[in-house]
Amino acid sequence: MPLTILPWLALAAAGAVAWGTIALHRGETISAAWLILAAVATYLVAYRFYSRFLADRVFQLNDRRATPAERLDNGRDFVPTSRWVLFGHHFAAIAGAGPLVGPVLAAQFGYLPGTIWIVFGVVLAGAVQDFIILFASMRRDGKSLGQMARDEIGPLTGMLTMVAILAIMIILLAVLALVVVNALRGSPWGVFTIACTIPIAILMGFWMRVIRPGRTIEATLIGLGLLLLALVGGRWVATSPTLAPAFTLSGPALAGWLMAYGFVASVLPVWMLLAPRDYLSTFMKIGTILLLAVGIVLVLPPLQLPAVTRFVDGSGPVFAGKLFPFCFITIACGAISGFHALVASGTTPKLIRRESDARLIGYGGMVMESFVAVMAMCAAAVLDPGVYFAINAPLATLGGSLESAATVIRGWGFTVTPEQLQALAHSVGEETLLARTGGAPSLAVGMAHIFSRAFGESLTALWYHFAILFEALFILTTLDAGTRVGRFMLQDLGGHMWKPMGRTSWYPSVILSSALVVAAWGYFLVQGVLDPLGGINSLWPLFGISNQLLAAVALCVGTTVLIKSGKARYAWVTLGPLAWLLAVTLTAGWQKIFADDPRLGFLAHARATAAQIVAGTLDPARGARFIFNDRLDAVIAAAFMLVTVVLLVACVREWALILARRKTPVPRESPFVETAYAG
Amino acid sequence: MPASPGGGARAGNTLRSALTALRRVLGMPDYRAYVAHLHAAHPERPVPTERAFYDEYVRARYADGPTRCC
Repeated sequence: MPLTILPWLALAAAGAVAWGTIALHRGETISAAWLILAAVATYLVAYRFYSRFLADRVFQLNDRRATPAERLDNGRDFVPTSRWVLFGHHFAAIAGAGPLVGPVLAAQFGYLPGTIWIVFGVVLAGAVQDFIILFASMRRDGKSLGQMARDEIGPLTGMLTMVAILAIMIILLAVLALVVVNALRGSPWGVFTIACTIPIAILMGFWMRVIRPGRTIEATLIGLGLLLLALVGGRWVATSPTLAPAFTLSGPALAGWLMAYGFVASVLPVWMLLAPRDYLSTFMKIGTILLLAVGIVLVLPPLQLPAVTRFVDGSGPVFAGKLFPFCFITIACGAISGFHALVASGTTPKLIRRESDARLIGYGGMVMESFVAVMAMCAAAVLDPGVYFAINAPLATLGGSLESAATVIRGWGFTVTPEQLQALAHSVGEETLLARTGGAPSLAVGMAHIFSRAFGESLTALWYHFAILFEALFILTTLDAGTRVGRFMLQDLGGHMWKPMGRTSWYPSVILSSALVVAAWGYFLVQGVLDPLGGINSLWPLFGISNQLLAAVALCVGTTVLIKSGKARYAWVTLGPLAWLLAVTLTAGWQKIFADDPRLGFLAHARATAAQIVAGTLDPARGARFIFNDRLDAVIAAAFMLVTVVLLVACVREWALILARRKTPVPRESPFVETAYAG
Repeated sequence: MPASPGGGARAGNTLRSALTALRRVLGMPDYRAYVAHLHAAHPERPVPTERAFYDEYVRARYADGPTRCC
């Protein structure tokens, strides 16, 4: 055995010790350092061995083969890019609210189940998915996931994939908007700061197009400076007796503003609002994630949350459902995310300089994303469990006052006092933190806790609002970009029916399709805001299911690519994760529709609501609306499951035909061209 | 401060390549690189103005599909 293996054995042993420590310490707090050590050791070992196996044996990456960036270099979107720069580009594109919010919500099961899934899910499933899609797209001139599904499996699959992407986008936008609403409701400081991002982005837009064309970094730095001013100004607004009421908005009012914003942003030219805000939020995102990593490593906070809570039985207040399957649905993006397949078959494959770089970018980028999710889990777990549940349980469960909330939470076995909750809200500059479900506020409290211990105690309120700004900023960017992408997809579909609809610059079509997309996600957003169970309880699982469904599609495409290129003996690298995802997604979908618990099953909730109407305890008009929403959610979950099954059948049929040699696989890879680069 | 003109030029180059890398990471257009590409690969084609290039770049970038994940 070569001696070079020794450091790896030591690293593996260190990881095993860290996992053992986490697993065996029950009932006493442990340091976040153990979580970080266990995760990093696992990542390094997996990257060194498994991703290398995938690169060399399964994909047979070949540096003599010219990449699309080299062959099709156009100086704009096809550009050979150095691998660390592209790693940064790819990571910035895949990291978002998902890996931050999901782990925080899943912390209701305790930090252990979520962390295991985040770390092992990524090395065995999530990073494999991103890597294989990046590889497949790179070998096909940067084709998108939808195009590959159509070319490799068939037109029906391609069509279903497109429809699924549109549907997922709608649910995603609604649930992310709901996270922002829950974070900003009744918070003049937050609303003022976030509102300021719009004029700041517009100023940046004019700066880099009209005033000083092309000076994008200069404009972004100016925007960043103004953003920090707005953050500080927010405190002043929140304490001003005249201004504070103007910026104190209710949930429904915020939902209305977000919809108006999404519509306007989708109709305006990209340079004016979307592009500058994207630069600003990407800059903030990378900076804050680095800051969080530094903060956690400096502080190495003790984890206050239990490793496993009693809520693994499905009775959790944040969202209903047992550990299996809901832990794996709730943490979508941090472990495996179908959405990444869209990015890995988007801008990134067109920028790869050498084939072997795909390993660092595809597999490594996703491992990095998983690390962000582990940090989010740490930030949630540094909170006192009582505080965590006070922030994340819905108002209907907690009752309207701090006293009632403290009583309910004590009933769950966690100690918390009304004074403690009041002092915490005051310390972050908010009226109340009760029932701010959605992950963003508890993450912000956790981050503020870590930052203020690392960089200065007196700034807790500023750090809290900095964290809220950071999350809301890129969620709004997603809202804005997602509405526009949805609009293009709708216009594309509409163009098949009536030509002018497909013209992306024809204003009537632009306005109509934008309005339709906003109305679609806005409907679910309003439903979530008014939902007596808190909205996140129904929408986040729907999002998780749909995102994992897209991951299943990506893994199906990946498996097909492997089988068609004569590597069926390696198909287990994608079939294993696929089988797990199908088990998780289909079980979760089934339970969300048919479970008898009204908190869990949509149909059971509709029945319970009907009973309340009959008993006269609920206004019939409101009740009828809840019932309609429950049935709609059930239909959507069923549709997602149906699409999954149809796709799977289509794929299995294709695989069987090829393996039985009844069908000759048509090679879809671009032909081999020798690279012009030296060595 | 640079000790010699050579050092200054080197520092300028380092800064320029750092900014180029940052642009690429953030998904920003790079006009200078595009013009260099045009001169090298298609000398016969007209060079667009910086503003025209910017407009076309951002239009194409956000029309193509999701560029960022959740």
